[in-house]
Amino acid sequence: MSDWAAIKENKQVGEGVYRLRLTAPAIAAQAQPGQFIMLRVSHGLDPLLARPFSIHGVDGDDLLILYKVVGKGTRLLSMVRPGNKTLSLWGPLGRGFNLDVKRPVLVAGGMGIAPIVFLADTLLNQGRKKLAFVHGAVTGKALFGGSEELRTTLLGRDLEPYLASEVEGEERYYGLIGVALEPALSSFPDSSPCGGVLACGPLPMLKAVAQICARHKVPCQVSLEAPMACGLGACLGCVIPAAGGGYVRACQEGPVMDAALVDWERTKP
Amino acid sequence: MSQPNLAVTVGRQRPVHLKNPVIAASGTFGYGLEYLGQLDLGGLGGLVTKGVSLNPRQGNPPPRICETAAGMLNAIGLANVGLEVFLRDKLPALVPHGVPVVVNLYGESVAEFVELARALDQAPGVAALELNVSCPNVSGGGMAFGCQPGPVGEITSAVRAATELPLWVKLTPNVGDIVPIALAAQAAGADALSLINTLLGMAIDARNRRPRLGNVVGGLSGPAIKPVGLRMVWQVARSVDIPVVGMGGIISGEDAAEYLLAGASAVQVGTANFLDPAACRKVAEELAQFCQAQGMGDVNELVGGLEV
Repeated sequence: MSDWAAIKENKQVGEGVYRLRLTAPAIAAQAQPGQFIMLRVSHGLDPLLARPFSIHGVDGDDLLILYKVVGKGTRLLSMVRPGNKTLSLWGPLGRGFNLDVKRPVLVAGGMGIAPIVFLADTLLNQGRKKLAFVHGAVTGKALFGGSEELRTTLLGRDLEPYLASEVEGEERYYGLIGVALEPALSSFPDSSPCGGVLACGPLPMLKAVAQICARHKVPCQVSLEAPMACGLGACLGCVIPAAGGGYVRACQEGPVMDAALVDWERTKP
Repeated sequence: MSQPNLAVTVGRQRPVHLKNPVIAASGTFGYGLEYLGQLDLGGLGGLVTKGVSLNPRQGNPPPRICETAAGMLNAIGLANVGLEVFLRDKLPALVPHGVPVVVNLYGESVAEFVELARALDQAPGVAALELNVSCPNVSGGGMAFGCQPGPVGEITSAVRAATELPLWVKLTPNVGDIVPIALAAQAAGADALSLINTLLGMAIDARNRRPRLGNVVGGLSGPAIKPVGLRMVWQVARSVDIPVVGMGGIISGEDAAEYLLAGASAVQVGTANFLDPAACRKVAEELAQFCQAQGMGDVNELVGGLEV
């Protein structure tokens, strides 16, 4: 059901990265890690369509969205001030992560950190210990959405972090995501190996993660994104090439799906 | 003042009775089932299904949609589950919700349209058929059936002979003069005309020198096309004797009222369903408020009421 949500906070937390706090009790009560909402960033006709945003966290009746300014819609959203202003939204939508995974490895590339934080929170609240957490970005500064607050919060939790950036800095691993994912997977003893990788990030990164997981024979769940109009499975705009031919809808069969169900050769960034 | 009457009837010989004039448009409402939980389907005037073809269609490679100024382009490629799955899974699940179901048909030859119409004639719960004649005529060289009066008349009369269901013919705006095409559909036995389908357009990413759609070109919809829709509905409605179902960029009750004034007997809401899953309900509510504010007791008073 579409609804109006009051904006409690819309705070810049990093370079071009904002955290939005919306009061949306019905959505907050049902949201699962990996699910998303459709949010209209203005009341006008341009931009016209709602945009999909992954759920970054739930705090009581509040929904948290972490987003980066990448175009007109997100730029307008970044200028929205809290107060009596409301935005229209609907959700939670799509399939989230399957949490029934023994010894999971969480993987976040760039702004893929947004839903992975909600996932980590949920798993830790279930009593998981020492969660392996792989996070990569182009620069070390862009890790954690560029947010010192998020870095401090996350690194203060019961996580085993493997942080990678593509340029040399203060992080331990330099290069593409594999340089951190490989040691994370190898950290498990052969007697009790990693039971699954849960990943979100840009398409080329997810493709690389899927290939590494296939090589290690570890199941892999990926959260995919695509241009989307309705979020409900009706418009058929958000399709992803499916293994074995045809397409699946990112909003219905995804956004989180088994990496083996995606035809990675036909995906284009 | 009491609530104005919103009920309308589309078609005289084979009437379709709607509790209000607002119908969800084909391609924007799936098979209706996708919107369960978003709004009460029984409250809609009607809904038109995603176009159904004989065989399932995978559709076009992505990207399939892109946003434009006050509108959007789509090149879905008529992806659909095909007749068999539609009849087995979709239609029986939709009918109990009590909404008039108009089935949009997509064929690549006259014979395909006839076969689809025959199958749906036997299916319980179909309120009307809507023929998508904007599709390419594959056996006729690929040009859209809907661009010329001859092929539109040919499909319409062939389907007319195959079913007693009310027949709506959905016209494309991508033509020089739409009136002869509308007259051809009427002469061939159409009960109503729905218009307009999307306007052909394209969008380009100049920085990457790439088209924004996988199919390069696509159909433009949304508020950006409302003036074109109004113009064509007005032109057609004053030229034919059968009812017109108007559409193109309706997102408010007042937009709907404009189409009724231009001569439409009912309207379809398309792209607005993507801005708000409950858009059809809201347009109907706003239309009722509009009538009330104008001191009208019946929405039918608007139909063709344009003063020029």
